Formats: sequence, C-alpha cells, structure tokens
Amino acid sequence: MSDGIDMKQEKTFKTAAVILVVGLLAIGGAPLYKHRHFEIPVVQGPGVTRVVKLSERAPRLKGTMADTNVFYLEGKESGGKVILMADTHSNEPAGLLASLIVIENTVVEKGTVIVIPFFNNSASRNTRPGDGYPLYYDIPTAWGSKRFRMGNRDASPLDQWPDPDVYIHYPERQLLSFIDVRNTNRTWPGRPNGPRMEQVTFGAMEIMRKENVDIAIDLHGAETMFPVTNCIVAPERSSRIATLASLTVKAMEGFNSHVEPSPSGFRGLSHREIGDHSDTSPFLLEAPIPFLDQPTGPKTVKFLLDGKDDFLLSLAKKKRLFVPYDESGWPMEKRVGQHLSVTLEILRQFSKKYPDRGIVVRGVPRYAEVVKNGVGHYFHDPAKAETQKVILN
Amino acid sequence: MSLVIMIAYHVICAFLAGLLFWNFVREKKSKDDLVLYLLVMIPLILRLLRIK
Repeated sequence: MSDGIDMKQEKTFKTAAVILVVGLLAIGGAPLYKHRHFEIPVVQGPGVTRVVKLSERAPRLKGTMADTNVFYLEGKESGGKVILMADTHSNEPAGLLASLIVIENTVVEKGTVIVIPFFNNSASRNTRPGDGYPLYYDIPTAWGSKRFRMGNRDASPLDQWPDPDVYIHYPERQLLSFIDVRNTNRTWPGRPNGPRMEQVTFGAMEIMRKENVDIAIDLHGAETMFPVTNCIVAPERSSRIATLASLTVKAMEGFNSHVEPSPSGFRGLSHREIGDHSDTSPFLLEAPIPFLDQPTGPKTVKFLLDGKDDFLLSLAKKKRLFVPYDESGWPMEKRVGQHLSVTLEILRQFSKKYPDRGIVVRGVPRYAEVVKNGVGHYFHDPAKAETQKVILN
Repeated sequence: MSLVIMIAYHVICAFLAGLLFWNFVREKKSKDDLVLYLLVMIPLILRLLRIK
C-alpha cells in the first residue's frame, strides 16, 4: 500500500477502512458469539425427578457461564447414589452423549442417579480455532439431526481470567501447568472461594459429601497414542469394582476397557481427589477419541464422528497406537456404547457388593445396542416434548 | 482478586481502544498507519464485547 493521503481521499479512505474492519469483526466474531450462546435442548426422560443448578452447592457460580444443570433421577426404593459427570473436558463428546442418553431414557428402580452433563459449562462454550476445531457437530436421529456445541478442554478465559504463571494446586500445593487452572480435571477438590473452576469442582464435591454419594463416574476420551486410553482409572478403593467391571464387559460384551491405577502423586484429578476428600468411590472412564491425536488429517466433523484417519491407520500398522485400529476407525457409537456399558457394569458390581446401597436402573442401552442403533436413536424430539420437560443447556 | 484484575483489564482494553481510535481520527498522512490502528483494535474490541 502506498503511503501518503490527501485531504479529499481521507474521509473516503477512513470510512472504507472502518467498514472493512467492522465487517471482519462481524464475520469473525458472530459465529463465536453464537456458539457461546447456543443452547442444546435436553428432554427430561421418565426417570428425571428434579433439575437444580450446581450453584446451590457453590453459590458464587450463580449467574456465571460456569453454573450448570444437575439432573436427579430418584427411584421409588431407597438405595445407593451415583453421580455421573460428562464434559469435564468439552472436546471429548462421547461422555456428554452417553450422559444425555442416561437423562433421556433411564428409569431408576432403586437408589439415585445424579447427572451433570455439562460439567465444565464454560469450556463447552469455548473453542480451539488454532487446531481447526468445528464449532458444532450433528448427530442424526429419526426426527432430524440434533446439534451440539463442540467445546474445548479448558474453560473460556472470558469466564476465568487471568491465568497464573504456575497453577498451585489446592490443597496439596503441587505445581501444575498454568492452563490447568481452567481444567476441571485438575482443580479437584476445589474451594468455595477459589478460581471459578475450583468452585465448579467444589460444588460437585459438596453434592458428594452432603448427599452421601457412593460412586462418582467421570466420562472422558483420550488419544489413541496416549497410554491411558480405553480404560477405567481407579484409585485403591475403587479398584476391585473396576476390575470386575473390566473383566465382565470383556467377557460378556467383547470390548476392552482395562484398569489403570490412579497415581497418588499426581494431584487435582477426579479419580484421585474425590476418593481422598470424601467417602465416594471415583471412577474415570476413558474411551478412545482419534480426533484428539495430533498426527492426523483435518479436524472435521466427519472425523470426530467416525474416527477414521489414514495417518493413524499407518501408525497402527507400525504398532504405535495403544488401541486396536483398522479401516473402520473408532466411531462415536462404539465410544458412547463403551461408556454406557462400563457405567452399568460398575453399578451392577457395586450393587452386588453392597446390596443395601444398591442402584438399579433400566432403559439404558448397552454397547451392542448403541453400535447397532446409533447414538441418535436414543434422543427424543424436543419439538414434540412437553415444554416444561425440555431443559436448555 | 481475579475479578478486580478482570475489571482492570477491560478498563485498559477500553482505554487502548479509545487511544487507537483517537489516533485513527487524527491521522492525516499515512494510509498504512490508519489500517494498522484499526487492525490493532480488533482483539481489544472482541474482548470488550466478550466474544473472544
């Protein structure tokens, strides 16, 4: 561009430049604004008895984007309690889809099931443009497609800022990466007045402590090149049930989900801190998600859903992956089905061991059914549901 | 404390955006400078509008 401007041109040039930049702002900013405020309708299933906000247990969350819905599914017969958390990392969507299937379909016969589907609600309204993340993905259903926000691993800086140079974990004072102050799987057990993501984990801890929750299940996804994938991460107190669940799904349903011990020296994770700071037994479920691996092709919605990638296939042939991988990829149905079957098996094993605290549910599909019918088969049309039964998230 | 820093940050963003816009209005000679003022304002405006 040539330098220099005369008075006649000045006004025209300035006006044109402002219009251009406002246009750029609108084109670039509007999709991000829309994504942050996009609401996902969830149809309360037959088992949902009440929906509350997490801020009831962590009051400082009230009115913030970090506050989130907590669904209670209470059985007629008293028994044990389980809390199911998904979207702790909002770029690992299989857990979210599994938790929504639970909300929309489960009938609880004994005990209580508590579900927090958008655990890190702020992260679910964040994105990662540098990695080319899509803003949304659609799941086909019999009544059309259901649209979901594709989130990020960490909460939005719009909701929690500034980041420290180093995140000092509470209460162990272990030094963690600065970014983990916005990662709700590093901020356990949290504080009521700590950084906002510590308030989120504190709220969940309060539910577990005050309501005598027996089991906590945190649903995740992990890269195929990461050793802690396709597994149940469990601390000492949960390891027996985790092992029985792992062996049973392998024998009865034909898929692997091995057990990984929760390291006692790595702080802030749900599978470590929940057990150390309450009487609840934690389990963290990891399903493989090829989309998160780095040496892959473009991060498209198709890849997110079918898990097929030529680079990963090449690496699988060189035995560089930690899961079996072939031309069929690792589709969403398999990942969601695994989460549901392992969850059901943990509940069954717990109920066998503690019959007086049993948790008995029906209506939740298992692995083979989800693989056969698809994930969308289990979502209900919000347009045909009673208005008061539809919760926006 | 975080809230105070967040508010201070937004005030600083608004101040810098205002400063840049004022320079843009007053600039009479260089087209390059005019464009640069506007480009530098983009992240500040996105933050003030709580978009990114």
